[in-house]
Amino acid sequence: MKIRGVFIEDTFAEAFTMRVARVIITGRSPRWVRAAALKLTGFATSVIGCKVEAGIERDLTAKETPDGRPGVSILMMTMGKDDLAKRLIERVGQTVLTCPTTACYDGLPDAPDRLGVGSALRFFGDGFQASKVIGGQRFWRIPVMEGEFLVQEKFGMLKGVGGGNFLILARSADAALEAAEAAADSMAARPGIVLPFPGGVVRSGSKVGARRIKSMIASTNDAFCPTLRAVTVSALPEGVNSVLEIVVNGVDTQSISSAMKTGIDAACRDGVVAISAGNYGGKLGPHHFYLRKIMSGAAE
Amino acid sequence: MSGLVAKLKEPLGQRADLSEVLAGSWTSLSARELSDRPVYLERDGDARLGDLFQLDGSPGGTIRFVGELDQADRLGAGLVEGEVIVEGSVGREAGLALAGGRLDIGGDAGPRTGAAPLGFKRGMTGGELIVRGSAGAEAGAAMRRGLLVILHAAGDRTGLGMIAGTVVVFGPVGAEAGLWSKRGSVVALGRITPPPTYSYACTCQPAYLRLLLTRLRAGYGLPVRPRHLTGFYRRYSGDMAELGKGEILEWTAK
Repeated sequence: MKIRGVFIEDTFAEAFTMRVARVIITGRSPRWVRAAALKLTGFATSVIGCKVEAGIERDLTAKETPDGRPGVSILMMTMGKDDLAKRLIERVGQTVLTCPTTACYDGLPDAPDRLGVGSALRFFGDGFQASKVIGGQRFWRIPVMEGEFLVQEKFGMLKGVGGGNFLILARSADAALEAAEAAADSMAARPGIVLPFPGGVVRSGSKVGARRIKSMIASTNDAFCPTLRAVTVSALPEGVNSVLEIVVNGVDTQSISSAMKTGIDAACRDGVVAISAGNYGGKLGPHHFYLRKIMSGAAE
Repeated sequence: MSGLVAKLKEPLGQRADLSEVLAGSWTSLSARELSDRPVYLERDGDARLGDLFQLDGSPGGTIRFVGELDQADRLGAGLVEGEVIVEGSVGREAGLALAGGRLDIGGDAGPRTGAAPLGFKRGMTGGELIVRGSAGAEAGAAMRRGLLVILHAAGDRTGLGMIAGTVVVFGPVGAEAGLWSKRGSVVALGRITPPPTYSYACTCQPAYLRLLLTRLRAGYGLPVRPRHLTGFYRRYSGDMAELGKGEILEWTAK
């Protein structure tokens, strides 16, 4: 299969089931919403080293938020159920509670699994906190020097999917970057997904384990490193000199398939040789996103 | 069309106690079954709801009362589920000890709306009670949880002895609102004079209030103005004769 001259390899992206929460942050102005969101989603690229993967799903207009202020929707994902509650408490407590004018709400109100977030953060109020039940949901009012921080008591948790990906194999670093930027831009507004890496792009794709140090859980994906073409078993076609990866996490497989389709289509441009994907032979992750099926319109 | 309609057959002519009509589970009852629920008439004694109202429709979680119900007392008392809409005004003690569901009164409500039954410690323990007119004295008395909204004036001692919960009044509030409140919130969008046992804390913009008012506007179509959402509130803490964890929030133009 070729799209605008770019070869789509007959392979698949292998992804994992993760636990996902959607956090809604509102604030007096987009400035403070963005400030909180960037901190909340900072250092959250991969569970390999960050304990959580997170990203901004999209900006929300005042009409879309619970309190009628500008907001942002964020997805946070972990591998385990227990981890997600811990990470939410840590991050909301350190980055949203601290940020002027913000409030924090659950973005998955229909999810049956509920995680106590406000119920833990309330103790920062040192006994001066108060709760309100509004529309059947409990919120905690935590007094802070600025006024009050409002946070929902419980946040919904769903099973999501992490690790959807595709690789852009290009003739040059410039071409790879240009294609990756186009892909990330096209995927940014897709609902139900986040791109947890910087700018949505990864330059250091990894393989499971390591050749030298057995205790490492991940190391460089040497098969796709152009500089190692001569010294390892390379997966790179002739003429490829740079590879960038797009990693996409989402609330379900459909969201990821749809976003991958959009992103791959945007990445198929001059200077790109092929589109591939990262997998582990299908043995580790239950979700397999076949590139050709996605691009021909069929879902996972 | 799902939902029940209870239309008053003829003017009541005497006070009617409807406290048992919607107490407990009722949303799955048919019009006929609900017609059998007991009513107590001040002059004529025991009766059934069906003696006073023509009930039609099918169970759907809602019931609409139509007719002059000024003399109907304790309508919605003990409500735990469903949505009750009253097209006009009601008598005393509507929504007494309301625990869940919604009671939406289109007109005025008499004294002790959403209060505790006399001799009991707890009034509303949940649910939402909307009075689109004015409410009499001691509305929301001994409220433990839930929401009471009064669109016009609220009588004296509104929120008397509140344990917690929220009372929002769009119009003027009578004397001694929030007296002996432990943790309750009385939100006054109109005029209010906090009791002397309340202490001024600060002028602020409580985030929860914006959430609450936004929801009231969207969910009930209440006339929440931009100034209510973006404005400031004078916060008084009290009742200092009690726990002092309650509050009166008075909207202010400054």
